[in-house]
Amino acid sequence: MVMHPDELVINDYVDGALPPGERDIVERHVAGCGECRQLVDDLRDIRRQTAALRPMEPPSRVWTGIERSLRQKKGPYPFFGGAAPYWLAVAAMLVIATAAGTRFITSSRQAPGVAGTSAAPADSADMAKSVEDDLLQAEQHYQRAINGLEQIANADKGALDPHTAATLQKNLSVIDSAISESRAALKAQPTSEPAQASLLDSFRTKIGLLEDTVALINEMRKGNDAGAAQIVSGLKQKS
Amino acid sequence: MVARVQAGDVDAFETIYKQHAARIYSLASRMAGSTGEGEDLAQEIFLQAYRKMGSFKGDASVGTWLYRLAVNHCLDFVRSRRAKMDRMTETLDGEGAFEPVSRRETTAAKIDLERAIAQLPEGCREAFVLHDVEGFDHKEVASLLGIAEGTSKSQVFKARMKLRALLARRA
Repeated sequence: MVMHPDELVINDYVDGALPPGERDIVERHVAGCGECRQLVDDLRDIRRQTAALRPMEPPSRVWTGIERSLRQKKGPYPFFGGAAPYWLAVAAMLVIATAAGTRFITSSRQAPGVAGTSAAPADSADMAKSVEDDLLQAEQHYQRAINGLEQIANADKGALDPHTAATLQKNLSVIDSAISESRAALKAQPTSEPAQASLLDSFRTKIGLLEDTVALINEMRKGNDAGAAQIVSGLKQKS
Repeated sequence: MVARVQAGDVDAFETIYKQHAARIYSLASRMAGSTGEGEDLAQEIFLQAYRKMGSFKGDASVGTWLYRLAVNHCLDFVRSRRAKMDRMTETLDGEGAFEPVSRRETTAAKIDLERAIAQLPEGCREAFVLHDVEGFDHKEVASLLGIAEGTSKSQVFKARMKLRALLARRA
């Protein structure tokens, strides 16, 4: 019977962390063992792929949110030569609501004993009920944020060119389908953590897109073509 | 630039943001296992950096200072999230697990790898990201995560083996 090296030893071998003597032993084994050679090749491949990962560019709404928060603290919104317009203030409040909803996700996703645990039945039922309540609250948070952002976006939709408006509409339809699919999955498996996370992720995606819409309208009103083009480019990548 | 930010110049801060946003956002998203949470974390990190810029002494570069701030913030987030858990979340590895619907990610092996990293269980994901992606050695990872060096090694190995299985399933 062939004695394979311990997998952690193979891992150290891949990392070049074995002392010379041990490394030679493993090397000789790997040369003659297809199974271990495959493991070494796979681990090396994962290391190679990981090393090739590039930094990801954050969506434009990340800076928009930061800037909004900083400018609010500094007083009047400078882009408008005075106080921020009503819709911008509402949008800022909605970002806070979104953040609150996000925390609901975290707490509901990590609620102990949700799915597939061995907790006592009564505890499981209580926990399931608690998670469902959390989920409902989070949904309500998101829905309020979505309603508010839709109101803002619809009120100023005229500021967008028809092609961009169509792209936004198309993306919103895709996200709405995802929400419906997630709801259906959740109906079939009410305590499924991935299904809950997926539904909330779809809400968050929708809010993100609506925030992008508001940011785009903001850039167009500022006459910042470069900023607007950057946001539109991001929208196209998502479509 | 730092002096301008310390004086409250938001435009100067935007320049710093643009220089470092991708690295911070990538770190946050990979540590949290979700781009959505990565966005929230990146915002929190930069807002915290803006608030703390007054205490920046220039002993290190802004990038190094910001990165350290980001690592600590991500670790706080991960610890706080883990504190709420009484078990490792490995449901995504189960047979017939629900496939999360994601419309943002579409093609290419790199995206497959990003998605696979996001599916790693809590614990081994952070060790893997810090070691294999961010380039910390096991001693540093152990110190950052408050675990033994041997645990860091085994967590990284566990992560690699899970990635191997996840990527093979998609091949």
